[in-house]
Amino acid sequence: MIGKIGKRANSGSADIVGNSIETVGDPIKDIHAFPNYRGRVSLAEKAGLPLENYEAAEEICASGAIKIQACGDKEKITLDMGKCFLCGRCQEVAPDLLRVESAFAIPVRKREELIESLDGIAPAEESFEKMGKELKEKVGKILGRSLAVREVDAGSCNGCEVEITALNNPVYDIERFGIHFVASPRHADVLLVTGPASRNMEVALKRTYEATPDPKIVVAVGACGCSGGIFGDTYATTGGIDKMVPVDVYIPGCPPRPEAILYGLLLAVDRIPEKHG
Amino acid sequence: MMLGGDATDHSNTAKYKSAILQKLGKKVRGIHILNGNEIHVILSTKEEIPESCYYVHKDLKTKLATVICSDERLAGRGFMLRYVFAKENGEDVFIILTARIKENDDSAGGRHLTFPSIALHIPSAALYEREIKDMFGIWPDGNPDTRPLVLHEQWPEDVHPLRKDFDINSKIPRIYNREYPFTKVEGEGVCEIPVGPVHAGIIEPGHFRFSVLGENIINLETRLFYTHKGTEKLAESMNLDQVLLLSERISGDEAVANSMAYCQALERIARANVPKRALQIRTICAEMERIYNHLGTLAGMSTDVGFAYGASRLNILKERMMQLNEYVSGSRLLFGVNRIGGVGIDLMDDKLKHVVNTTNLLSEDFQRVISMLKDKSSVMDRMRNTGIITRRVAADLGLVGVAARCAGIDADTRRDHPYAEYDSLRLDMRHDTPQHLMEYEIEMQKMKGDALSRFEVRVEDVVNSISIVNEVITNLHSDNVLVVADVVDRLEPYSHALGYAESHRGQTIHWVMIGEDCNSLSRYKIRTASFVNWPAIEQAVLNDIVPDFPLVNKSLDLSYSGNDL
Ligand code: SF4
Ligand code: SF4
Repeated sequence: MIGKIGKRANSGSADIVGNSIETVGDPIKDIHAFPNYRGRVSLAEKAGLPLENYEAAEEICASGAIKIQACGDKEKITLDMGKCFLCGRCQEVAPDLLRVESAFAIPVRKREELIESLDGIAPAEESFEKMGKELKEKVGKILGRSLAVREVDAGSCNGCEVEITALNNPVYDIERFGIHFVASPRHADVLLVTGPASRNMEVALKRTYEATPDPKIVVAVGACGCSGGIFGDTYATTGGIDKMVPVDVYIPGCPPRPEAILYGLLLAVDRIPEKHG
Repeated sequence: MMLGGDATDHSNTAKYKSAILQKLGKKVRGIHILNGNEIHVILSTKEEIPESCYYVHKDLKTKLATVICSDERLAGRGFMLRYVFAKENGEDVFIILTARIKENDDSAGGRHLTFPSIALHIPSAALYEREIKDMFGIWPDGNPDTRPLVLHEQWPEDVHPLRKDFDINSKIPRIYNREYPFTKVEGEGVCEIPVGPVHAGIIEPGHFRFSVLGENIINLETRLFYTHKGTEKLAESMNLDQVLLLSERISGDEAVANSMAYCQALERIARANVPKRALQIRTICAEMERIYNHLGTLAGMSTDVGFAYGASRLNILKERMMQLNEYVSGSRLLFGVNRIGGVGIDLMDDKLKHVVNTTNLLSEDFQRVISMLKDKSSVMDRMRNTGIITRRVAADLGLVGVAARCAGIDADTRRDHPYAEYDSLRLDMRHDTPQHLMEYEIEMQKMKGDALSRFEVRVEDVVNSISIVNEVITNLHSDNVLVVADVVDRLEPYSHALGYAESHRGQTIHWVMIGEDCNSLSRYKIRTASFVNWPAIEQAVLNDIVPDFPLVNKSLDLSYSGNDL
C-alpha cells in the first residue's frame, strides 16, 4: 500500500520511545502524513474543462512541471513530478484537473517515470534514457548486510538536508534498516545528492563521484536534484544531478519527507519491487 | 525604552533628517522619507560616500545593514549604490545613503567602473563590496581584498551576472588554470588543514582552511558560495508570486522569515492593510520556525560535545515540532504560509488547540532535557570558553541575532523594527522597571560570547517563542479574509522598499525594486543573517583546537544557501 495514508493517531499505538512520540514502524507501509500535507500532485482522469483552464495551470506553475503539448491533432497535458515543488498553485486555478494529495510522490529509477500524462505516455526525454538500466545487476553485487550512504549537497536550499537529517532522529531511526551515513565517499555505496547542482559545486561533486568505489549508486533528492527545481538551469546551476553524474534513483518532493527518502534508498538497493500501481 | 510601540510613529526620522542635512550639507543632493521609516539621502557624487557613511555609522550610531547595488541603466540612472544603516535599541529608523555611478565614470583609466571603498573603516562593508565587484563589475577602490567572492576562480573576470545585459541562461565556459589564493600563514611548525567543500556530516558545502600550530588554530579562512544558485538574478525573471516561492527557498529552514520579509516589502510599497489575523498567523508560524530550528541546533551542539542521549531527546522534540508544522501548514518546513498581502493558511479552532497542547507539552519536556544537559559538567565544560566572539568583534562585524546577543549586544529586529504582530507584543518584560532594566544590562555584560552563552541564548529563545505563540493565539482576531488581494495592483514601476524580519539566525533584510510591468522585480537584494555572521567564525575559533571547530560551527548555526544565494 505504498503512498496510502494511514489515519494518523496523535497519541497511542506504536512504540513509545519517550517524550510521548512514536517511532515509525515500517516506514513504507506505515506512512504518517496529515491530510493537508502537500505530497504530490496528480492529474484527474476526466477533466471536463475547456483548454483555457489547462493553460491557466500551465502558466501559473513556476517550476514548468505542467506542459500542454500538441499531439497529432489533439492536445496533451503532462505533469512532471521531478520538477514540481508542491506549491499547490495549480490546484487553485484548475481544481478539476490537478489535485494536491497527501501521499508522497513515489521515487523512481527512470527520470521519465516521474512524468504523468493524461493522454498516453509522455515522450521520454533523451538525456534521461540511459539511466537505470544496469541498476539491477549493480545492486545485487554491492549488497552486504548494510548500506553506506554519503550525503552530498550540490547547492540545495538546505530544506532537503533538514529531512535527511531527520532520518537519523529516533523517530525514523534509519540505522535499524542497516543504513548508515558515512563521512567519506571512499566508504560509501550510495551518494545521496541534493540541490540543482550548482556550477560552483560541479568539480567537487564529480570528484566525490570518482572517489566513490564501484559499483556505486547515485540518488538524486528533491525537485532540485531531479530537475533543478525552482532554480532551474541557469548560469549558476546545471538543472539537476543527472547533468553531472549518472543518476540511478530520483526522489521527487520539495523537500521529500523522510519516508520518501528512505523509500528511494530502499529502491536503490533493490529491496522493494520496482513499480507500484 | 520603547518596546514595539506605534509602528507609524516615526518622529525620530525628522530629527535624523535635520541632523544629516546640517552635517553633510553640500554632500547631499536630496533627502526624503519613504515607507514611514526609511530616510533616503541622495549624495551629490560617489566621492562623498566614505565621509557620509562614517558620519552616519559612527556619529549617528547605526549599524551597516546592507549595501545594495542595482543596475538602473534602463531607467536612465546608471548604477545605483545604496548603503542601508539601521538604528537599533528602540528607534525604528533606517538611513539609506544613495549614490549614483554613471557609466562613463571610468576613474581607473577606462578599465573599470569604481566606487570608493569604506571597508577599512567599516569592516562589515568588505564582503558587500567584493560581492558588488563580482556581480556588477564595479570595483571598490581601496578594498585590499581583490579576490573573487561569489563567482569562483573558474568564472571569467569580465562577466557580471546581475547586470541587465547578462542573460540568466548563459552558460559561461570554465577557466581551469586559476587558483584561489588563500592567505598563507608561515612559520616553524605551522601546517595547513583544508576541509571541505564536501563535509563529513549531513551539512551544506563550504571550504575551510585552517592554519594550525600543534593543535591550536592560529588562522582560519572560510571560502563559501559553493551553493550559489543565482537567486537574485533568477528573481528578476519571475513574476511576484513566483518570487514568493523562491524566497521560501533562499534557505529552506528560514522559509517563513524570508518570505515574510519579502511580502512585507511589497506590502509597504502598496501601503496595504494586511488583516490582523493574517499578521498574527505569520507571527505564530515565524515563532514555530524559531522553535524547531533552535531545537535542532541545541541537539547538534549536544552531539558535538559527545552527548548523544541529549541530542536524541532534543531531536525528538524537533521532530514533534516539524509534525506540528505539517499539521498547521501542509509542509514540514512551513513552506506556503505567506502570501503577498496575507497568509495562505488559516488556523481553525482544532488546530489552535493542537498547537497550544503540543507546545505546552514540548515546553515541559524541553525544560527536563535542558536541566539534564546543564547537570552534566562534561557538556558544560566543553562549551564554556569555546569559540569566543568578543564584543568588539561582534560590533565591528555588525553581527545580528544569537551571534550578537551571545556577545552582549542586544539586537532583535522584532523589537527594534517591529512588524507583523510584534508591535503589540511585549517582547521583553525585563525592561519593565528601572531595576529590571539594570539587571538585564548586567546580564548582557556577563555574556561571554562563547558556545555556552549561545546555548543559553537559544534556550531562552525557545522558551520565549513558546510563550509568544500562546499569547498570540489567546488574542487571535476573527477576520474572515486573510489576504488583501490588491497589493500587486497598487505597485508602481521602480518603487522600492525594505522588508525585514528576525529569523532564528537573526535579522534578514530584503530590498525590492518593482519592475516596469509592476508584476516583476527589477532588483531583489537579499541579505540574510548568515551573510553578516559568517565572518565571525574566523575570529571565534582562534586559539581553540581543531576538534572544537564542529561545536563552534554548530553553535553559530549559519546557513550556506542563505549566504551564497
Ligand atoms: S504544485 Fe507543482 S505542478 Fe502545481 S503549480 Fe506548484 S509546482 Fe507546478
Ligand atoms: S528540492 Fe526543495 S527543499 Fe530540496 S533543495 Fe530544492 S528547493 Fe530546497
